[in-house]
Amino acid sequence: MRVVLADDSVLLREGIARLLSEAGLEVVAQAGDAADLLRKVNAHRPDVAVVDVRMPPTHTDEGLKAAAEIRERWPETGVLVLSQYVEEAYAVELLAGDAGGIGYLLKDRVADLDRFVDSVRRVGTGGSALDPEVVSRLLGRHRRDDPLAELTPRERDVLELMAEGRSNHAIAEGLVVTDRAVEKHVTSIFGKLGLPPTQDDHRRVLAVLTYLQA
Amino acid sequence: MTLRAQLSILAVLGVLLAALGTTLLLSSDMRDTSAWALASPFMMLSFIGVGLFAWWRRPHSGFGALMTAVGFVFFLSAPAASDAPALYGLGYLFGSLFLGTVVHMLLAFPEGRLDGRRERWLVGSVYGLVLGVNLVLLLLNGPLEDQAHPRNAYVVWDATGVAKVVLGIAEGLAVVLAAAVIATMVRRWRAASAPERRSLGPVLWTGAGLILGVGISLGLDLVGAGDTVAMVPDLVALACLLALPYVFLVGLGRRRWFRAGAIGSLIQRLSAAHRQGSVREALAEALGDPSLRLLYWLPRDQRYVDLEGRAVELPDAESGRGVTEVRAEGRRIAALVHDAALLDDPDLVEAAGAAASLALENERLGAELRARVEELEQSRAGIIAFGLAERRRFERDLHDGAQQRLVALGLQVGMARSKLREDPARAEGLLDGAREELRQAQQELRELARGLHPAVLTERGLAAAIAGLVERATVPVEVRAMPPERLPSAVETVAYFVVAEGLTNVAKYAGARHASVAVERINGHAVVEVRDDGVGGADPAVGSGLRGLADRVGAVDGRLEIVSPPGAGTVVRARIPCASS
Repeated sequence: MRVVLADDSVLLREGIARLLSEAGLEVVAQAGDAADLLRKVNAHRPDVAVVDVRMPPTHTDEGLKAAAEIRERWPETGVLVLSQYVEEAYAVELLAGDAGGIGYLLKDRVADLDRFVDSVRRVGTGGSALDPEVVSRLLGRHRRDDPLAELTPRERDVLELMAEGRSNHAIAEGLVVTDRAVEKHVTSIFGKLGLPPTQDDHRRVLAVLTYLQA
Repeated sequence: MTLRAQLSILAVLGVLLAALGTTLLLSSDMRDTSAWALASPFMMLSFIGVGLFAWWRRPHSGFGALMTAVGFVFFLSAPAASDAPALYGLGYLFGSLFLGTVVHMLLAFPEGRLDGRRERWLVGSVYGLVLGVNLVLLLLNGPLEDQAHPRNAYVVWDATGVAKVVLGIAEGLAVVLAAAVIATMVRRWRAASAPERRSLGPVLWTGAGLILGVGISLGLDLVGAGDTVAMVPDLVALACLLALPYVFLVGLGRRRWFRAGAIGSLIQRLSAAHRQGSVREALAEALGDPSLRLLYWLPRDQRYVDLEGRAVELPDAESGRGVTEVRAEGRRIAALVHDAALLDDPDLVEAAGAAASLALENERLGAELRARVEELEQSRAGIIAFGLAERRRFERDLHDGAQQRLVALGLQVGMARSKLREDPARAEGLLDGAREELRQAQQELRELARGLHPAVLTERGLAAAIAGLVERATVPVEVRAMPPERLPSAVETVAYFVVAEGLTNVAKYAGARHASVAVERINGHAVVEVRDDGVGGADPAVGSGLRGLADRVGAVDGRLEIVSPPGAGTVVRARIPCASS
């Protein structure tokens, strides 16, 4: 899998590049700002671009703008956005329309190497990766007649991991249960929330998010 | 010799010459018994007397001198009464010169100066005409007078015909000049402000009557009307001329009378005035100057403001506006900005200001309050903006500094963990790196916290906190003074930031070799000063640091002052109110 990295902090860029290389991914280019990133994505057409939100010159949301442009011009390249803070509004903006090939994670997550590498791979293969903090904030919102209240604790765990973009198999591994059990939970959750069933992981994410935001 | 002595000599001279003229008149065989001739010594004394009085009262105006000159010019025509041909001719030559001097005086009224080119040209023409035509008549043996007179001793060419033509042309010219003079006077009247008109009026109108009378009389002569008809305007002119000095005196008196009335009604109006701005209206009416403006003095800021509290500059000398200060109990409270013509009568303006001083002081307090409110609003907005900018700066510092380091630290710990078994040496190296990241993150957080509020300031006080700043400074800094006791905490905090920002600027821009810091208590104020010997030229309007500092100082009612002439170092000084507890 081929990766382009964009972050204005050389220190972090080099660190992430090293850990991705050691995990067997190929970092084909690194960029220090958004314009540089777009040039290098165009030149290398990587499977995934890992992008910091704040970059020169304005240090505001250059990364998000670049992500949207990459989605628009090179749909086959996935974008994983890293940020010091996670904002639901940014997540919604990023995932608007299609959660395939999109990820949005807190920067801190890089410390958990395996999960981070997994997220990069998932986004690189057209899946999605949503930070658990965004998910838990969406789940934590209070609403009237909350159907979420009807979920069992185990179903809630499954819903969270599902919203993060994980496959049934990954959820089963994470919760240490069988794939079959996860499938049962998923069916039950979709039933309780009144969502149309789907097998596609990132369509599932989108359905769950749409539901949570409503 | 004093002015008084000089004027006395002129007075004595005037009386002597008038006596001499009268003697000449009486000792001749009384050919000329016209009213003009008989009135001449009296007019001479009137003009000299009133002229000297005006000269004495207002020595800087040339008007008194001009009026005195009119009197003496009358004397020049006195020899015309003589029976000796040589003397008679001389008196005849200067017989009409007084008309030139009177026109000069009228057009120069009240300052005694001719302002425009047009005026100077006009006066010059009148002088030329009244001297020139008599000279021509003498030299060419023209007709001198209707009645019998001594022989003309000055004929050089006997050409009576030519002389008559010249006389006709001169009379025509005189009528035109009279019209031009009257037009100039009317224009002056129309351009005058109300207070100016009050002082111009009597003299200007009487003068116009004189010129009109002379003009019409000459005009009638020119068209050949009979002497009887021409006598009417002639007598009008004579009456106006006789009255002119006394009308001037009446004008002075009228002003005094007007002043008493104006102050009386001003006091009445002020006692009924409660609306904002009514003091100005009352004063404007009392002084007859609708353009009057009031400025209020703010002693704390050493500047004038208007009623709304907005800063206003006094008009400069060329603006045609006069300024009169109003004081009460020795303190400056306000200034009246008025028509410069009112400066002719400074007593009136001062009396009006004094009468209104209580009401002015009230309005001044209102204006001061409004100025203060506006200042507070500005400084509050400044503080909010400054606070937001500071927050953004801290967020950026955190984001780019400590947070990045912590992410990198997490990354290294994560990698070390994954290498722990298969490559312990590598893991050890990664952990060393992580420890370094941790140390730097701590350092950055410490500095950030100190920028928010240095703990040592609360715990150990200003002197200790400033000692810390001095130690970290990039140039040698001498601490010249520190208060021995603790100051109120808000004052200490602001003082600390003044020194911190001051020393930051020294390091960043000043190019200084040496700096000094002083904090002193003076007259209920904490005076904080940072001085350097660098390049100077610091401008608070440019750097956000100094501007933010001014807002911070303003928030505790203090004032920030920056003295930074190019090439001569910079002094940043804050005066913060700090009552002794």
